Amino acid sequence: MSIELHKISKTFGKFPAVKQADLVVQTGELVALLGPSGSGKTTILRIIAGLEFPEAGAVSFEGVDVTGISAYKRRAGFVFQSYALFNHLTIFENIAFGLRVLPRAKRPPQNEISNKVESLLDAVQLSGLGKRLPVQLSGGQRQRVAFARALAIEPRVLLLDEPFGALDAKVRKELRRWLRAFHEKTHLTTLFVTHDQDEAFEVADRVVIIDRGTVQQAGTPDEVRNQPANAFVRDFLDLS
Amino acid sequence: MGRKAEGAGIAMAGPISMVTRHQAGRRATAESPPVKVVLIGVVLLFFGLFLAMPLVVVFHEAFKRGAAVFVSSFTDRYTMDAIRLTLIVAAIAVPLNTIFGLAAAWAITRFHFRGKTMLTSLIDLPLWVSPVIGGLIYVLLFGRQGWFGPWLQANDIRIIFAVPGIVLATTFVTFPYVARGLIPLMQAQGSAEEEAAATLGANGWQIFLRVTIPKIKWGLLYGIILCNARAMGEFGAVSVVSGHIRGKTNTMPLHIEILYNEYQFSAAFAVSSLLAILALVTLVLKSIAEWHATRQLEAGARAGEPQS
Amino acid sequence: MSRRKHVLPGFGLTMGYTWIYLGIIVLLPFAGLVLKTGTMGWEDFWKAVSSPQVVASYKVSFGISFLAALTNGVFGFLAAWVLVRYDFPGRKLLDAITDLPFALPTAVAGIALTALYAPNEWIGQFFSPYGIKISFTLIGVYIALTFIGLPFVVRTLQPVMADLSVEVEEASATLGAGRWQTFWRVIFPSLLPSLLTGVTLAYGRAVGEFGSVVFISGNLPFKTEITPLMIISKLESYDYNGAAAIGFVMLAASFVIVLASNALQGWDARRRGQA
Repeated sequence: MSIELHKISKTFGKFPAVKQADLVVQTGELVALLGPSGSGKTTILRIIAGLEFPEAGAVSFEGVDVTGISAYKRRAGFVFQSYALFNHLTIFENIAFGLRVLPRAKRPPQNEISNKVESLLDAVQLSGLGKRLPVQLSGGQRQRVAFARALAIEPRVLLLDEPFGALDAKVRKELRRWLRAFHEKTHLTTLFVTHDQDEAFEVADRVVIIDRGTVQQAGTPDEVRNQPANAFVRDFLDLS
Repeated sequence: MGRKAEGAGIAMAGPISMVTRHQAGRRATAESPPVKVVLIGVVLLFFGLFLAMPLVVVFHEAFKRGAAVFVSSFTDRYTMDAIRLTLIVAAIAVPLNTIFGLAAAWAITRFHFRGKTMLTSLIDLPLWVSPVIGGLIYVLLFGRQGWFGPWLQANDIRIIFAVPGIVLATTFVTFPYVARGLIPLMQAQGSAEEEAAATLGANGWQIFLRVTIPKIKWGLLYGIILCNARAMGEFGAVSVVSGHIRGKTNTMPLHIEILYNEYQFSAAFAVSSLLAILALVTLVLKSIAEWHATRQLEAGARAGEPQS
Repeated sequence: MSRRKHVLPGFGLTMGYTWIYLGIIVLLPFAGLVLKTGTMGWEDFWKAVSSPQVVASYKVSFGISFLAALTNGVFGFLAAWVLVRYDFPGRKLLDAITDLPFALPTAVAGIALTALYAPNEWIGQFFSPYGIKISFTLIGVYIALTFIGLPFVVRTLQPVMADLSVEVEEASATLGAGRWQTFWRVIFPSLLPSLLTGVTLAYGRAVGEFGSVVFISGNLPFKTEITPLMIISKLESYDYNGAAAIGFVMLAASFVIVLASNALQGWDARRRGQA
């Protein structure tokens, strides 16, 4: 499932967060949206998820326009920087949430839900912790629950907002490796936002560099490093 | 510490009247406009019916027979006596409770000691018990058959059915308000500034007057306003201890009751309208004081106090 | 000078003053009440608190207060929601007027409500053609107790609602939950403890309420008398023992309600703040 953004613009009050941004994520790609704080990268991600609505431009998944479709119908898995887990539910119920809220006709029976949740817990290496509450887990563990929860709905695309931002260096490195490996296995179209260029270059197939709401350059890590498109890219990546 | 939101609106709940994140137009997580309109409508209807109408009734009934009748309600000698007594009682009870509130808030928020929860619970006590109990306890102590009754009679001291009893009962019912207005505020502000003053050599009173009072002045005002409104309006507790002697031990609320029971409706509502105006003024001053206090708190937070 | 335990001065003075003040105004009088009850003898105590008229008043004070508190739970929740999450003309006014039952003297509220619901007046006139009386009935008591309890629920819920994480709601939406599902499965469970706390506070207040109720209730024996009124009638007939006994019962009830409320607040704090 590919993602296409066509001339997206979004203004908050008087502040233009995104200006005529174009972006394409091919099916199965893992793309990093890289830029400094305030560059509009999170806004772009949220627009793709349906959490913000642009004033102009279009978002489509595999060529089908989804701009007018609200978040709860888009099936775009989203992982928040702050995890946003449901604190009153167990880990199991957090992951099962997307399945439980399906319309009656599509909702799977309890044993199917159980199996799915258990296999996701395995995939994120948290088996056996299903009965715990989010408060009882560490930051890295909570982040993995957030992943599993988003994956449970079999999303068409996966969107990550600075997923490793709030974690310490060692955990960040482990999760990065885990994300890359996971992507190799599943080839789920994934777009993640980060301000950390090491992270972007290490994990992503392609990097899209954003500044002040516009796309500065898009290409593979090598392309971008060897042929920076403009002065901003050169400065931001610290090339000379 | 969940005490912040306890007890009807006198704790500093923060800038609730300012726009919250939820209102800032995040459409993905908002109800559809028709739903919003219905909910707002239901709430407005409920508030209009239950809250606004009684207020409207007071003023309407007070002026129903014309302004002349309204004014004549106050030329009655007993009415003037009742007003005077109410003012006197408030003038005694409020300052006493203010000093208590300051002392208690200082003790609770600036020191660590065991039994703090018990002390805070004790301060909340009048909010929990029926006001009638607030009067009962003093009758049991000082009434004719009370513990001190015989001794008081022997020395010709009258507390129950006299002004001192009214002052006591009113003081009891209203003593939490200043303390409760100050405690969350002073807790949130922290004692860093006072400690700094101490290291600079200031003594207790200087710290209190020069550092603490300016910081808490809006919270203090807020507590005093509320304490005063409750003191002037107290009915249940005073009803028990007063003896309802016209001209002597009748406060405004008690006098309103007498007028009403005598079918002097216009007069009853006329006097009520004074207290209703007081209530409205209290609400306005409360909003202003709350606004100032939260602004002060935020400014203090911004001014570089370390974020823990 | 011995080494002080406390950094700031004034501990002795403020603690001393506080405890002396509390002692005179609160502890001593309440000790008097408890002592009175204690020295009464079980039979006298039981006779006073279980007489049919008094028991009828329990039903009114405790029962109708419960209904009123539930009503406040529903409408208070709605009001807090609307005040925190929506912006509309008059919102600030609505917010300010929420405290009216708290600021308005109970006697004024009492006569205003009575006038409002009397058979030929204002609202009462709409009901009297159908034979429905509001003044001098339990309905009137219910309305008065609903009036005075409203601020408690609203003010307890407002800070909690304002603190709710928007992202958690967004997460729920991205997972496919519609608005009602998000409310029911995610938002409401996190608000439930505060709601219960507010309802408990409203209940505690309603149980002890006097001034707002005695006018509209008509004080019909065995029908609309409230328990605080029973205390007053005992005092008026110089039955100090009887008054103290009933007062003790009310005090015990208040104590239980306070404990419940504190427990709920503790549950709430654990559920929310520490996550």
